[in-house]
Amino acid sequence: MAAAIETTKLTKGYKSRIHGTVNVVDKLDLHVEEGEIFGFLGPNGAGKTTTIKMLLGIIYPTSGEGYVLGKEIGDMDVHRLISYVPERPYYYEYMTGMELLKFYGSLFGITDVKKFEALLEKVNLHRDASKTISQYSKGMQQRVGLAQSLLNDPKLLFLDEPTGGLDPIAHREIRDLILSFRDEGRTVFISSHELSEVELICDRVAIINRGVIERQGKLSDLLSGGRVEISAEGVPTQFISDMKINDANVRAIPGGVLLDMPEEADITAVIDAVRAQKGKLLSIVPRKKRLEDLFVETVRDKSVAPAAAKKTLTVESGDKP
Amino acid sequence: MRPIISIASTTLGEAIRRKVLLIILLIGILFLVIAPGLGVLSARSETTVLRGMLLGVIQLTSAVIAVVLTVYMIPNEIERRTIYTILSKPVQRWQFLVGKYLGAVLSLGLMMVLMTTVMAFTFYLQQRDFTAVPELVKAPVMYFVQMSLLAALAVFFSTFVAPLVNFFLSGGMYILGSLFNPFFQTLDQSPTTPIGAKVAAKLVNVILPNFANYNVQNPIINPGQSIANEGAYYFQVSIYGLFYIGILLVGGILVFDRREV
Repeated sequence: MAAAIETTKLTKGYKSRIHGTVNVVDKLDLHVEEGEIFGFLGPNGAGKTTTIKMLLGIIYPTSGEGYVLGKEIGDMDVHRLISYVPERPYYYEYMTGMELLKFYGSLFGITDVKKFEALLEKVNLHRDASKTISQYSKGMQQRVGLAQSLLNDPKLLFLDEPTGGLDPIAHREIRDLILSFRDEGRTVFISSHELSEVELICDRVAIINRGVIERQGKLSDLLSGGRVEISAEGVPTQFISDMKINDANVRAIPGGVLLDMPEEADITAVIDAVRAQKGKLLSIVPRKKRLEDLFVETVRDKSVAPAAAKKTLTVESGDKP
Repeated sequence: MRPIISIASTTLGEAIRRKVLLIILLIGILFLVIAPGLGVLSARSETTVLRGMLLGVIQLTSAVIAVVLTVYMIPNEIERRTIYTILSKPVQRWQFLVGKYLGAVLSLGLMMVLMTTVMAFTFYLQQRDFTAVPELVKAPVMYFVQMSLLAALAVFFSTFVAPLVNFFLSGGMYILGSLFNPFFQTLDQSPTTPIGAKVAAKLVNVILPNFANYNVQNPIINPGQSIANEGAYYFQVSIYGLFYIGILLVGGILVFDRREV
């Protein structure tokens, strides 16, 4: 599949009087495929927005190279094919929803009122088209932002914290809209803190921390390696410990024993062993790895052991970490 | 051209809704309306005082509006992130800057037209002499060129300094260029000036926009005075203004093009 975004050692440094040159984004190798929803995650100050601004050509990289839709970043032709919704955007408050679309449309030379109406309908604002932006709620402002971002029928959308500060209903509306973008064949690049949201909609993610990509790959691959909890009674704790299962934890619980082991381990062998001991199996609970676990693990690793966390781990389908 | 027009009209739309500008404008209009009443406080001829006061109010109000309008224009767009949604569209930075400037000049023009209209009415109601009104209106026309130059100066500074610094920088240069440019000119042309002072005066004279060119109120206020070859003078200083505006905008574009926003 063709790359919608491809960067090689893309770096952005700022000069500081105290620390010399500080790289806010450091040798970024990013690969986003066409037609996917890509989640760009990282803690505050990790370099997410700086990366987006570089990809949009709003700020200039210090070194490295980047391509958006096959063209070098900053190429004005690309701006006809992409769009951007910033974090907590401000739109001219005196304008109505319709006027806002007319303004942004005019920057592309689009004057088709029917198109504006259709876009407002798509984001469910057609009944509020004549209200001014100052009368819009946060969710409505975000939706009108998404409507303006669709004016040029973009192939690639950059959404910076699209659901930040929204209530659950607005969250869901925005999420459904983003999913509809993928169904329409668009590539969506989302920078977000909302990990549960990203987990629900993204195909691939990258985690950036202190300007360095720590993990990048398919969500399903990155989240593989879940765990299973088995609880049983009538089996001595020592007996389970003696089975020497890799990466397993055994502890006594009231009336039995709890075994926490990797999902890849031989669960059947444990069940057979419990039965052989005339024990009683109480529960088998698979615990899927969550994006939040991966994120915390990645970011915490970096802050605890910066040297060890330096290397970039890339995970692709069938290529486990 | 289309993005420039769109950005200019949006800037105009925003400017005419900015409360602080409307308050300044209202204060200016209020002074224009009460000017005839204040004229009695002076011992000079009533007409002379009235003309002087009306033109002074327009000039001062326009200068404050020009600076307040432009110093926040670019920084506000960056702070509110509106600039990102615009520059991520097929809009070049120079188009953005020129659009913002033209929007500011349009807003300024609109507000000056309003003040000039109020001034003309006030003058007519007081003097009952309509024939003097066209003569009076010449000054605001020249003030408009002056304010466009001031706005260009503030837009230029706004590409690299903070609004507050810009306010004092642009305001200071306006005062210097209005009051002291004739002094520097005299110093430069005087045969008795030492060579060092002459070079410094020439340098200041060239760098500092000559806002004094547009202070054409004296012959209008004092009927005895006149500008030799008036039409040619107005044309010449207008061209000077346009040339200087062009230089400031090109300078602003060069800075803004490299600026990280």
